[in-house]
Amino acid sequence: MRMILDRIKYGKETKKDILFDNPDSYGKVNIDSDKCNGCTKCVNECVAGAIEIKDHKAVVDYKKCIYCRNCIGACDKLAIKMEHDCKFCDIEQAGNELKKKIYKKFKRSLILRSVDTGSCNACMLELAATQNTYYDISRFGVKFAASPRHSDGIVVTGPVTINMREALIKTYDAISEPKLVIAVGACSFDGGIFKDGYANVEDLNQIMPVDLYIPGCPPSPQAIIYGLLKIMDRI
Amino acid sequence: MKINLLEKEIKNINNRAETEIKNNNELYINTTFEEVKNIVGILMNNLRLVFVGEFCIQEKSFIINIILTNRRQGYFVTVRYNVTDELVSLQDFVPQSNLFEREISDLYGIKIVDGKDTRNIVKHEIWQENVFPLRKDYAFGSKVKLASEVSRYKFMRISGEGGYQIPVGPVHAGIIEPGHFRFSATGEPIENLEIRLMYKHKGIEKICENINANNLNLLFERVAGESSVAYAECYALLVEKLIEWKSTDEVKAVRVVLLELERIYNYLDDITGICVDIGYSYPPKKFSYLSEMIHQLCERLTGSRFLRNAIVPCGINIDFNEVQKADILYTLKNIEKRLNNIIESTLGSVSFLDRVEHTGVVYNKTANKIALTGVVGRSAGIEYDVRRNFPYEIYKEIKTKTNTETAGGVFERYKLKIAEIKDAFIFIRKALSLIEGDVVKNKPEIILQDGLEAYATVETVKGELVVYGKTGENNTFDRIYFKTPSFTNWNGLTYAVAGEIVPDFPLCNKSFNMSYAENDR
Repeated sequence: MRMILDRIKYGKETKKDILFDNPDSYGKVNIDSDKCNGCTKCVNECVAGAIEIKDHKAVVDYKKCIYCRNCIGACDKLAIKMEHDCKFCDIEQAGNELKKKIYKKFKRSLILRSVDTGSCNACMLELAATQNTYYDISRFGVKFAASPRHSDGIVVTGPVTINMREALIKTYDAISEPKLVIAVGACSFDGGIFKDGYANVEDLNQIMPVDLYIPGCPPSPQAIIYGLLKIMDRI
Repeated sequence: MKINLLEKEIKNINNRAETEIKNNNELYINTTFEEVKNIVGILMNNLRLVFVGEFCIQEKSFIINIILTNRRQGYFVTVRYNVTDELVSLQDFVPQSNLFEREISDLYGIKIVDGKDTRNIVKHEIWQENVFPLRKDYAFGSKVKLASEVSRYKFMRISGEGGYQIPVGPVHAGIIEPGHFRFSATGEPIENLEIRLMYKHKGIEKICENINANNLNLLFERVAGESSVAYAECYALLVEKLIEWKSTDEVKAVRVVLLELERIYNYLDDITGICVDIGYSYPPKKFSYLSEMIHQLCERLTGSRFLRNAIVPCGINIDFNEVQKADILYTLKNIEKRLNNIIESTLGSVSFLDRVEHTGVVYNKTANKIALTGVVGRSAGIEYDVRRNFPYEIYKEIKTKTNTETAGGVFERYKLKIAEIKDAFIFIRKALSLIEGDVVKNKPEIILQDGLEAYATVETVKGELVVYGKTGENNTFDRIYFKTPSFTNWNGLTYAVAGEIVPDFPLCNKSFNMSYAENDR
């Protein structure tokens, strides 16, 4: 009875437009090339090694960036600005070829298996948050399966540690073709802040071809949903 | 017993031991290989100190440090001795010490003498045998090769009629972290549970030694995602202790607000998990919705849903003014009323109570023996909360009592988590009332002197986190050691599930909800 009253009182909670604009979110870090003089202050400030100097101008690799905003304060010329749109992932080349197949084979649904290979757990919490009643990812036909045999793809979070390497490969092998590999978070791209750790394998891409990187540390549920919808060809 | 009285007492017992008090609440005792067991025994049995952890540092030779605490007076005691290639095992009277000794043995290559359990813990089968990555001569940035040299891990065997084992993991069903569980069962009940972790071991302690102290808070936050704020706070406390800095009351209050916000969303997730594993579907949906609301509040406050890069040493990295204050109060007011309603509906449900009551019990005696901390320990009657026993920031004024239960089951942990959420609401309001005017973003550059050392401790959502830091050259740390709450609390789970049926394991596990990431590091 109490639950029914609660339901009536508060009504529907699910956000209808999932790709709404969130002004407080993190976003791409842009460097104004007119203002930048290549002083390397931001490069030294970046723990993740995401900023490089190319032709005397700083360039940010958004896949490596952990969105800590430290570089913004470090710049004397105020050349660094952050956008407020976390929906910006790009599909890799392998993923683009797979994209057509996905729509043909799976139509409107996608069953995924999540494997944590050494993340700090924040990415896992955000993946789990996509299933709450606010985002409700299952209405788009995306589900997380309990067995790799039931799934169309694998979601990897974190740098691949050598202890988890074998389990990851076994999970990957158990998935039927065509296999989709989605890497969530900056660590899964090149190790992120943990890339110098002695117990990490160099790169996820060497173990299995990655179709989609979702950047962020951790990526917000919105960014994850955007990436998944993009690879399903729904946007 | 006060810390200086203890120092005198140690001198009386053993006049060969050298003692030194640092940072007001840390006593360092230098002793030898032969006498260490005797001294630790006296400190623990006669003087009632609690074993916290054991770690190794490398100077000219290897030094083993045993951390003990006096919870009532709030100080640390470190017993030290030099070793060359063998360490003294404390396994016969400190049951938890095997974890720490095995870790030292794997990462420093120091053998355990006369220990009952000497299996590898960090090194899984795929590792190289003779590589010790935490030693200083192991180059930073180089990777351990895939060699499959380590001998096979031996699980406990079950024998007799009807006995069988169920292996689970490392990859679990659902969106969870990896770890291996080996159940030994006869019929329905679980006879023994063995937990094998360290699948996520990345070598964070080594990375910590090579990052500038001004940026290290970012790495601390990423040891465990769910406790980001608590780790950042611990780093701030550590640095502030080393450079003897006193923060203003406003900064302290903002930090407490952030710490308690983190507590709310974590415990909401925990009680969500408990309800899901019972199959009671309406409340968990709403709890996770409310937790989402808190995450969004956090995003509005700091730009990060996990409140990252907000707490920095000697300051605070966000602007905090009346707008944010009003936002917090408004959001919490909306959440609190609804939350109380839903919680009452769970506590009034017979089918819910039937599952949680008398399930997954850890008795007080066991909990004391293995020194459980946090909610898990408090549910079994251990009256210990870092916020009260080692008060930091403004907890001395606002935290006046420790919530405890006695029975130590799932229901007690559920009730305690709810009590902590309710307390968090009160603490946030109290802390906000202490903030007058605007708090301005302030991140001073820190410069550390070489050769200092200190401990810092914080109550995370999982329990007591202790961090040891020793400064080195070029504004970096020479050694950072994390004694994470999950490292010791995971063992509590093996006691909780003994005698329960296998289908109750997820429920017991969720009521503990220990972190794999911070355990593995």
